[in-house]
Amino acid sequence: MGNEEAVFYSRVLTELTLSFHIIYATIGVGVPLMIMIAQWVGIKKNDEHYILLARRWARGFIITVAVGVVTGTAIGLQLSLLWPNFMELAGNVIALPLFLETFAFFFEAIFLGIYLYTWDRFENQKKHLLLLIPVAVGASFSAVFITMVNAFMNAPRGFDISNGELININPLLAMFNPAMPTKVAHVVVTAYMTAAFVLAAIAAFRLLKGSNHVYHKKALYLTMKIGLVFAIAAAIVGDFSGKYLAEYQPEKLAAAEWHFETEENAPLIMYGVLDDGEVKYAIKIPFGLSFLAHSSFTAEVVGLDQFPEDEVPPLYIHYLFDLMVTIGVGMIALAGIYWIGMKRRWKIIHAKWFRWLIVLGGPLSIIAIEAGWWLAEVGRQPWVLRGLMRTEDAATTSGQVDLMLILFALLYLILGVGSVVILTRMFRKNPVEQEIEDRETEKGGDVL
Amino acid sequence: MTHFLMFYAPFIVLFGGIAAAFIIAPMDGAVYKQMENEKK
Amino acid sequence: MTLEIIGITVLWTFLFGYILIGAIDFGAGFFNAYSRITAHEHTLTKIIQRYLSPVWEVTNVFLVFFFVGIIGFFPKTAFYYGTTLLVPVSIGIVLLAIRGSYYAFETYGARGHKGYSFMYGLAGILIPASLSIVLTISEGGFISMVDGNPVLDYWMLFTSPLTWAVVVLSIAATLYISATFLTWYANKARDPEATDLLRKYALVWSLPTAITAGGIIFELRRHNPAHYVNIQDFWPMFLISALMFIGTVWLLWKRQKYGWAFILLIGQFIFAFYGYGASHYPYLLYPYLTIYDSFTNPAMAISLIVAFILGLGLLIPSIVLLMRLFLFDKDYVRGKGDYHA
Repeated sequence: MGNEEAVFYSRVLTELTLSFHIIYATIGVGVPLMIMIAQWVGIKKNDEHYILLARRWARGFIITVAVGVVTGTAIGLQLSLLWPNFMELAGNVIALPLFLETFAFFFEAIFLGIYLYTWDRFENQKKHLLLLIPVAVGASFSAVFITMVNAFMNAPRGFDISNGELININPLLAMFNPAMPTKVAHVVVTAYMTAAFVLAAIAAFRLLKGSNHVYHKKALYLTMKIGLVFAIAAAIVGDFSGKYLAEYQPEKLAAAEWHFETEENAPLIMYGVLDDGEVKYAIKIPFGLSFLAHSSFTAEVVGLDQFPEDEVPPLYIHYLFDLMVTIGVGMIALAGIYWIGMKRRWKIIHAKWFRWLIVLGGPLSIIAIEAGWWLAEVGRQPWVLRGLMRTEDAATTSGQVDLMLILFALLYLILGVGSVVILTRMFRKNPVEQEIEDRETEKGGDVL
Repeated sequence: MTHFLMFYAPFIVLFGGIAAAFIIAPMDGAVYKQMENEKK
Repeated sequence: MTLEIIGITVLWTFLFGYILIGAIDFGAGFFNAYSRITAHEHTLTKIIQRYLSPVWEVTNVFLVFFFVGIIGFFPKTAFYYGTTLLVPVSIGIVLLAIRGSYYAFETYGARGHKGYSFMYGLAGILIPASLSIVLTISEGGFISMVDGNPVLDYWMLFTSPLTWAVVVLSIAATLYISATFLTWYANKARDPEATDLLRKYALVWSLPTAITAGGIIFELRRHNPAHYVNIQDFWPMFLISALMFIGTVWLLWKRQKYGWAFILLIGQFIFAFYGYGASHYPYLLYPYLTIYDSFTNPAMAISLIVAFILGLGLLIPSIVLLMRLFLFDKDYVRGKGDYHA
């Protein structure tokens, strides 16, 4: 196998692992906060439904955490196995957040174990809720630290190169690089948003399947509200990301927006197709790109004409950008209508088709996450470390990457199917109506 | 301004979002009204 | 003490932690599956699950900590080991993934599912075998440089008696460590039937552990004479290790003080593991890589060590809390309270 093949298969395998891992990682970062909010509301309002909600979410969460942990271990090792030259360099400069991530993860793992096995063990429910804080903090900080490493790949800082040697290394400067704040905030809020909409989809699905229990209605209202908040936050941070890109990675922004010529008053191109270098069927929002890039409708935006051809990212990332933004805006609209509808007692939000849209919102949010990551990673090409190391120079020289690709594809198939089967089985066997009844009899019926 | 939007504003939005989520989470009066409506 | 030594000592300690906790974990999974096949199910399953449940995720972190740490402290290892270990470590990852996820599937989703228990029991016992190959490769002789890139010679690796001795040791030691720990745990849970059975397993696996450990040292004499000579410099450590081993077996045999038996076992492995590590010094990979020429820059090394100390400040109290609530809580160990979500 020539090295071109090794590079190709390494890219495919990394993409496969990350695309699979990110589903579980996103849920893993977002759901602890949802559990925490639900349990907190339950204790505050002395409402058993919310506490049960937290408890059932926690049960499902364990399964996704398990898959998230093992696929996270896989990607951690694969970075060294598939990109040894990159990791050798990265190890010198950006190892600190990687190392800190293991601590965050450690912290989360320990308290998750304690939290899960101490339901009702404490007289005071608040003590139990306290145990969840390290889980949520650890989960979110795992995302923060790992995203710092990814931000570093986009905006390498904290070192100088002189005669091929790394000098003046400053690990903190590498961590706090210019790409970090927007990227970290975007990753974390979208994880919260996705977790909320996935849980909302489940509640809506139960309501569609004939249950009319107030438990599901509370769950749906709670998660749609939280989803709305974080979807709006995601859009705002997304706008900041545009400004970051314009300043530090203009080629990525230009490729994502099909902005070929440097110009002032730049319009934002949405949708459309590229036909022989010409944009067709697109919607042009006048001055949109200038505003996104520089908060000014007339500012000049650098186009792709400023870059050598072999340093321009693939132009198909525009479709990924469209997909991500469309879903994001669509979810704001859907959740917004739902929220106003609940306040104003609109009938349509209880219609079947509307609930099906909410159900669809769960998987769509995950697709938006995937599209966002593909956009971020493909948009950095041809670099693995922008301006310093090309992807093809970073890959392994090993000849067995294609075999490993098959092996891991099979593994992810088994894990994906297994986790879905187990989750449905868990909740089918123990429907919430049954559990509420059991708990009432257990407590002598004076709770609800 | 751009500097502020790139370095500090993202975290303000993040923490603002978390705070907002906690503030609006307990407001579930609409659910009870919905139940009443359905009973009628 | 140089930064290099501090770095490798920290990493070696975490690797030891992983081997010890991982062995208990993997062995327990294996005994659990085995007891289901041989209809000892009722005797063992409860004890094993009570121990495993709250801690399984913690085990995995030790491994992640080790491999992230080694890239941080010794970035050049990414180039040498990353390039050559693609296949063996990928197999290890697959086993870890099956083990971790199916454990969770069985415990939380489908309690008592035989297929799942069997899957994770088997995957677990193969993990030490697949990961221990890395230690064999580090002895050198299996990697050659072709066009400036390291290449692993699989044929040589899989026909070497050293490889197989290490594989057998890893499996035997896993079962031995696990059985000894669980004997103590079962005894603490006041479950005499399980204690007896586990004590039997511990005694059965003690002998293969001792024989293969000796065999490896003998094998090294042929495979890596330089390392063999170094090992002899550390003979007191291996002697203490052997004495502690005898102590453990003696206590198990006499059915006395299982707690001490397990403490002696930890001691035995500490002395053997650090003795082996010290004699491996300064090589990370014979003869290409030492801890000195692969070391990171001082700025990164110091920030990693500071992060490590701060991290420990957070972790140690948490681990103590975890152990107090589950490992050393009498009611929990005896199964009096079930507070699972």
